[in-house]
Amino acid sequence: MRGLIVRRLFHMVITLFFVSLVVFFMVRLRGDPISVMAPPTFSEEQIANLRAAWGFDRPLVEQYVLFITRAVTGDFGQSIQARRPAMELVLERLGNTWLLASAAALLGVVIALPLGIVSAVRRNSLLDLVSSAFASLGNAMPNFWLGLMLIIIFSVNLRILPAFGALEPAAIIMPAVTLAVGTAARLSRMTRSAILEVLNQDYIRTAYSKGVSQRVVLYQHALRNALIPIVTVFGLQLGWLLGGSVIVESVFSWPGLGRLMIESINVRDITVVQAGLLWFSLSFLLINFVIDLLYVYLDPRIHYR
Amino acid sequence: MNVTPRSRSAIVMFLLLISFVLMVQPLVAQDEVTEFVFAHSGPIRTMDAPVTWFGSTHWLTNGLYDCLIWRAADGNGYVGQAAERWENVDDVTWRFYLREGLTFQNGEVLDADAVKWNIDRVRTREDFLVYPQWQFIDEVTVIDPLTVEITTKTPYPYFEYDVSFNGCQILPPDYLTEVGEEEFARTPIGSGPYRLVEFTESDRYVFEAWDGYWAGPPAVDRVIYQVIPEQSAQVAALLAGQVDMIAAVPAPDRDLVSGTEGLSLLTETSNRMTSLYLRVETETGSVAATYPDFVPATLDNNVRLAISHAIDRDLLAEIQGSAHARLARVCDYYPEGSVSDLADPEFISSWYNPDLARQLLAEAGYADGTGPTVYLDAPNFQFGNEREVAEVLSVMLAEVGFTVELNTLDTSAYSEQIVSGGNNRDIMMTTLGCSPSLVPSFYRCAWVQSNYNVCVEEWDALGGEIAQTVDPTARLELWEQWWATYLDYAQTITLYEIDSVIGFNSAEFEWTPRKDGWFTFRDLRPAG
Repeated sequence: MRGLIVRRLFHMVITLFFVSLVVFFMVRLRGDPISVMAPPTFSEEQIANLRAAWGFDRPLVEQYVLFITRAVTGDFGQSIQARRPAMELVLERLGNTWLLASAAALLGVVIALPLGIVSAVRRNSLLDLVSSAFASLGNAMPNFWLGLMLIIIFSVNLRILPAFGALEPAAIIMPAVTLAVGTAARLSRMTRSAILEVLNQDYIRTAYSKGVSQRVVLYQHALRNALIPIVTVFGLQLGWLLGGSVIVESVFSWPGLGRLMIESINVRDITVVQAGLLWFSLSFLLINFVIDLLYVYLDPRIHYR
Repeated sequence: MNVTPRSRSAIVMFLLLISFVLMVQPLVAQDEVTEFVFAHSGPIRTMDAPVTWFGSTHWLTNGLYDCLIWRAADGNGYVGQAAERWENVDDVTWRFYLREGLTFQNGEVLDADAVKWNIDRVRTREDFLVYPQWQFIDEVTVIDPLTVEITTKTPYPYFEYDVSFNGCQILPPDYLTEVGEEEFARTPIGSGPYRLVEFTESDRYVFEAWDGYWAGPPAVDRVIYQVIPEQSAQVAALLAGQVDMIAAVPAPDRDLVSGTEGLSLLTETSNRMTSLYLRVETETGSVAATYPDFVPATLDNNVRLAISHAIDRDLLAEIQGSAHARLARVCDYYPEGSVSDLADPEFISSWYNPDLARQLLAEAGYADGTGPTVYLDAPNFQFGNEREVAEVLSVMLAEVGFTVELNTLDTSAYSEQIVSGGNNRDIMMTTLGCSPSLVPSFYRCAWVQSNYNVCVEEWDALGGEIAQTVDPTARLELWEQWWATYLDYAQTITLYEIDSVIGFNSAEFEWTPRKDGWFTFRDLRPAG
């Protein structure tokens, strides 16, 4: 196990290095931020002076070396707009994004697992049909539209939930539901098909023939063996929730990293964009890392060489 | 105790219900202080206002910091803030007399030394975006603790305008030096009527009335700036009663907002002018490298004039959604923007003359309705229906004989590639502020912008003369000549001035929008 952890951590470092390369050069593809940062009243000479003051006149390779050597110590430079460390801004928001993604993931699982299991056990029943319709709807509904509908119903008409921000615990309800619907839809379909596949296995028939109750068969034998594909999809969904929260954070004005990224991209605050994207990548890699470890726990037959 | 599955479910449901009620409960809790929430799209990125150019940041920090003087809300002159009075000693010297006993919110004294420290800071720090604006100052001299003198390099008629513009905020020198700029951006201290008590960067800023303000505490206890990026979410928050004002109500929602009890629409100029900028040379920007053999039709003055006369500005303003037609690039509440007939609606309407446009094209060598091909770049959406405006504009030009290649881009891409990137071929449509102190400088030979350079010797000299003529009457006469060249040369063809349509909680508050389009709340009061 220790070897697995060391190898995975090493892979993460290598991946992050390549991500840093891509992030650094991609954000500069459309020129340096000074062109957007400078007001239209600036002359070319003043723009050149500003560019030099921020070090954007240096060769790109030199800028990258400076960036990466500082980044490994956690220093991503100063935000061009906020004049505060970019990392500080990112960390201020990262917690909110994780909170929202976790709440949505939890909600998604709470909805999806029972729904998927019941759909599998009662295949082709009315409940299965309803579950299938929910999955199609959940997949098809754009989350910005669903978010706005929830605001209109619960904030404008019923006036029971806050329309924006993260000022009170209730503020997380609508953004989390908005994000969870898609996750629940996908996860419930995956749960259904995984359970169905397991239910057709010989050892399930054997268990039934030995007189084991349906509840025990379902939860102790079928679900555990169906968990690998479900956990895989869940891991991907959690990554999607982190990235997908960008739009939902804007609709609900949730002060998360996604919103910070959009604003920073718009004003070309590239130090913040770089720090934020690397944190997104690191979060995604950590999720995959945990999923890999979970595989071993869920199925002891799995060995990583 | 034997708990059945049904009872267990009931208990879980009950606990969930209790949790939900507890979470929702704070919504109905009443606060006794008067609290005003202003929602806008942002961004706000720093509390150290002088370093930035973002208007939204300056709106936000307006209550936190005092300047020496400040622009009157109706656009008519200036009012004293830290300065009780001021005088123009001679053509290049201005003397300010500070109020007695001024302090910052932490007790630090606001005196002439503090004023000098702040002005020297903005005029010497090249990494500040406001730096160029302050280069007209030669020296700041402390006469005594309550008197400070500012000397300009040349006679400068727009001194008061610029000294009360971005970068004018007076920050506490000792505190800022002690904690450093990075910490100051987190814990700013000012001398204005509001203290910043809580904030999340670019999200929510809570200000509370400061009892120690020289004019007494403001009428509203708490002012909150809430960033809500999505316009539709802003409208929903206003309708839900969770915010008290939004800066721009989209056209489709205006009836809904005005029809809601307690809400009203306020309309005022936004200090933004939309114009077409025509290429009169091919050296500036990246256009020469991108289209090396391209010769813009707009190099011909008659072609440019034909474009100017082919446009029905009233119709374009209507299509934009909230705007009024204009010919001059300076807003009409400044005397400079309304000299002669420039702001007269009839004169503006009469400028639309398709027959004259055809005649001018014929004089330029394009007879029989076969005009040149022109390339028009426009943003999809900036302040309203820019894409629709550009489409109708293309049709207007086509009607007099032009062939128009229209290129619309998303706003940020447009700004990077066309406006700042200098990659415009013929015509770019964009929206800029309408400052009378800056506009003439854009048409000086030495002022090379990223996209174009305009150099007409006589016009250049006129611009220089305006910039040094302190006497307002003589200066307005020069402006009259300046505008005549502006219209005849037609490098910039102004279309309309954008109006702000504000959604406001008039049941609980009273507020009059400022003429300069700034959203500041020193004058906000509870209704009645």
